[in-house]
Amino acid sequence: MNNQPSSRKLLTWFNPLGRNPGAWAFILNRLTGLGLTFYLFLHLIVLGRLAQGPQAYEEFLELTKSPLVKLGELLVIGAVIYHALNGLRVVLTSFGLGIRQQTQMFYLSVLLALVGTLVFAIRMFAG
Amino acid sequence: MSKPHVIIIGAGFTGVATAHDLALRGCQVTVVERGDICNGTSGRTHGLLHSGGRYAVKDKESAIECIEENQILRRIVPQVIEPNGGLFIALDDSDLSYAEQFIAGCEECGIPLEELTPQQALTLEPNLNPRLLAAFLIPDATFDPLRLALAFAATARHNGAQFRTYAEVETLLMDGQGNVTGVRILDRAANRHEDLHADMVVNATGAWAGQITAMAGLDAPVHPTPGIMVAYDQRLVQRAVNRLNEPGDGDIVLPQRRMVVVGTTSFTAENVDYIPVTEDQVQLMLERGSELIPAIRNARPRGIYMATRPLVGSGSGRSMARTFKCFDHKETHNIEGLVTITGGKATTMRAMAEKTADVVCAKLGIQTPCTTRETPLLSYRQYYTLSNQEKHYA
Amino acid sequence: MPEQWTLTLRLYRQKANEAPRYDTFTLQVNPDEYVLDAVERVWAFHDRSLCFRHACHHSTCGACGMRVNGVEKLTCITPLRAVTQNGAVLTIEPLRNFPIVSDLVVDMGDLYRKMERVNARAVLPVTEAEIEHPASTWNPEDAQYLRLSDCLECGLCISACPVAATTAAYLGPAPLAAIQDQGMRRHPELLPLADSEDGVWRCHSAFECTAVCPSFVDPARRIMDLRRQVVGAKLRQVFGK
Repeated sequence: MNNQPSSRKLLTWFNPLGRNPGAWAFILNRLTGLGLTFYLFLHLIVLGRLAQGPQAYEEFLELTKSPLVKLGELLVIGAVIYHALNGLRVVLTSFGLGIRQQTQMFYLSVLLALVGTLVFAIRMFAG
Repeated sequence: MSKPHVIIIGAGFTGVATAHDLALRGCQVTVVERGDICNGTSGRTHGLLHSGGRYAVKDKESAIECIEENQILRRIVPQVIEPNGGLFIALDDSDLSYAEQFIAGCEECGIPLEELTPQQALTLEPNLNPRLLAAFLIPDATFDPLRLALAFAATARHNGAQFRTYAEVETLLMDGQGNVTGVRILDRAANRHEDLHADMVVNATGAWAGQITAMAGLDAPVHPTPGIMVAYDQRLVQRAVNRLNEPGDGDIVLPQRRMVVVGTTSFTAENVDYIPVTEDQVQLMLERGSELIPAIRNARPRGIYMATRPLVGSGSGRSMARTFKCFDHKETHNIEGLVTITGGKATTMRAMAEKTADVVCAKLGIQTPCTTRETPLLSYRQYYTLSNQEKHYA
Repeated sequence: MPEQWTLTLRLYRQKANEAPRYDTFTLQVNPDEYVLDAVERVWAFHDRSLCFRHACHHSTCGACGMRVNGVEKLTCITPLRAVTQNGAVLTIEPLRNFPIVSDLVVDMGDLYRKMERVNARAVLPVTEAEIEHPASTWNPEDAQYLRLSDCLECGLCISACPVAATTAAYLGPAPLAAIQDQGMRRHPELLPLADSEDGVWRCHSAFECTAVCPSFVDPARRIMDLRRQVVGAKLRQVFGK
C-alpha cells in the first residue's frame, strides 16, 4: 500500500469548514508549527549577520524598530505560546488525561496565547 | 462442460441466500441489483429472528419454518445475531385467554417454551410493564439486517458468485418463443447498458416481483404490504418482547445495539419505491410499544422507517400466511427460463433459497444436494474485501 | 397537516470516467424527515440514475454515511431540521478518503480489510459494552447476553480524520478503537499493529472521529487509552513481566 502522504490531500489538513474545535486546534497547531519553522530560518539568517561584524548587525537591528516587524514579532510570540500550550494539551490527552475537557483546554490555550500576546504588545509599544 | 449460468435479480435476503446456495451447488451465479445489498425491504426489516411463536396459533406452517431456520441461522451466522431469546407477555384478559392456544401451538410446532411468573419476568427485564399477568420465554433473537445479507453474499462471492450492484434490470431477454434467456441491465454506476445471458433467471425481487414478471407479460400474486418501525434511543430490554395475542399493530419491541425498535403496522400500498411515514402511525407505535415497555415514553425516536413485506397468496394483511412461494413459470405460464421466489420473511431466507435452488437445479439437471444448513458463513466484511471493483479516487 | 419546507438538495454526481458535477433538486419536505428520506425521494421521483447506499434506516447497518453540508452524518438518523432550514440549499457529498464508486457511493473495502485485520468484535457480552447503565446494575447472569457492538463500520470517522486524508496506510479511528476494545492484555498479538508507524502513534489528536461518530464509540478516547495500553505493554516487555 502507498505509504507516502499525497501533497494534494495535505491541503485538506487546513480546511476548517464543518470541523469541530478539536480539528481547529489541530489546524492551528500545524499553521503555528510551520510559521515557527519559517521564523527559525529567519532567525538563523539574522544571526548570520553577526559573522559579518558588529556594524552590519547593528544596521540590521535598526530595521526591527519598524512597526511591521514588531507586528511580526507579536505573531511569533502568540504562535509560540499557543503551540507550546496545545502541545501540552496533546501530551495530556495522549496519556488519557482530560480527554473530556480537550475542547476547553483548546479554548484556554487560545485565550492564554491572546493574553500573552497582548501583554507583550503593551510592553513593546508602550516601552 | 462449463457451469450453468444463473442470473438472480435482487440482492435482498432471498437473492443473496439463493446465490450462496447455487454457488455451493456448482452454478455460475450473477446477482444483479439496482441499488446496493439490502436497499429495499430486507434492509428495513424489523430485525427479529422469529422463534415462530408469533405464528404458532394461526399459521403453523410459517411457525415451523421459523423455529427450524432460527436454529440454523444461529449456528451458521452467529456474527450478526443477538441471541438473547424473547418474551411473550400478557397484559389483559384478552391476552390471558390467548395463552392456552399459544402454549398448544408452540408445542405442536416444536417451539421450546418456558412459563415465567410475572415476578421472574420482571427480574429478567426490569423495564417490562409491571402490570403484566403472564410471561413466556421463547428462543427469539435479533439480527443486523445488512450484515446478515452480507455474510451470505460474502460466502457466495468466495464461491465464485458475481455481484453486479447498481445494475437495474431494464428488460428480460426473450428467445422469440416467449422464453427468458437473460436480462438487459443499466449499470447505473458506469451509465452503460449491457446484455447478460443465462440458462435461468431467478426473480428474487420480493415486493417488486410483479414488475419483473410484467416484463415477461405475467402477473405475480404479490401483495406489497408496508409496515412502520420506530427505533428509540435507549436499550431498555435485552430480549425481544412480544404481546401475547394475535399479531397486531406495534406488538413487538426488540433490542438492537443501543436501541429498542417497535413494530409494526400493516396496510397496502401502490408505489412501493417510496412509502412516506405518517405521524399517526408513529403515535400508534409509541402507544402500543409503551404498553409493553412504559419507559419508551422517556426515550426519543432515533430512526423512523417503512418496510414493505412481499406477501403472497390470497386474503389480505394480517390474515395472510407469512410463508413463501416459488413459481416455476414453465408450470404456471409455459414460459421457460424464469423462476420467481417471493413471500416469506427474513428468518426463513435460507429455506426460501434452498427451495428455489432445488427448483432451479432440477430444471438444469444438477444433482448436488443443498448444503447450506451446515455451511458456516464467512465474515460479512469479506463481501467488501473480496470485491474487485474498478477504483478511482476523487 | 405536518409542517412543509421547500428545500434545494445539491447532490454530488459522478459516474465512472465522467467529471464530477453537482445536480440540484427542489423538494417539498417535512422537516422531521431524515436526510436519507429526502435523498431517496430524489431517486424515487426525480432522477432514477442517482446512486446512494442505504439499508436499515435506523442506524444499525452503517450504510448511509454521507457528508451533509461538509460534515459526516449517518443520514438515516439526521433529521432535516437539525442540519438546515426552510428555503435553504443542502449540499450532500460522498464520504472522503475512500474511492468513489458512483455519485454518493464510496468503496469502503479498505476499512473492512482493516477491521478484519484487527479482528474487530461484531458481537460482545452486554456487560462489556460501555452503556448508560452503571456496571453495578447488571445482574451477574447478564454476562451471558450478547449484543452487536457499537461500531457500525460506517466509515464516518475515516472520512473526518485529517490524518486518514493524507495516507491510506494509517489504520484509522475505527480499527484502532476495535483494538482498544479487545485490549492489549487479552490480545497481545495486536501489539505490533497498534505500535506500528501506521498505528496508534500516527493519530494527531484532532478528535474529529469522536465528533462525527454516530454510534457512541468515541474513537478518540479509545485511541488515547490504547496509547496508554501500548506503553504499558512495552514496559512489561522491557521489564519482563
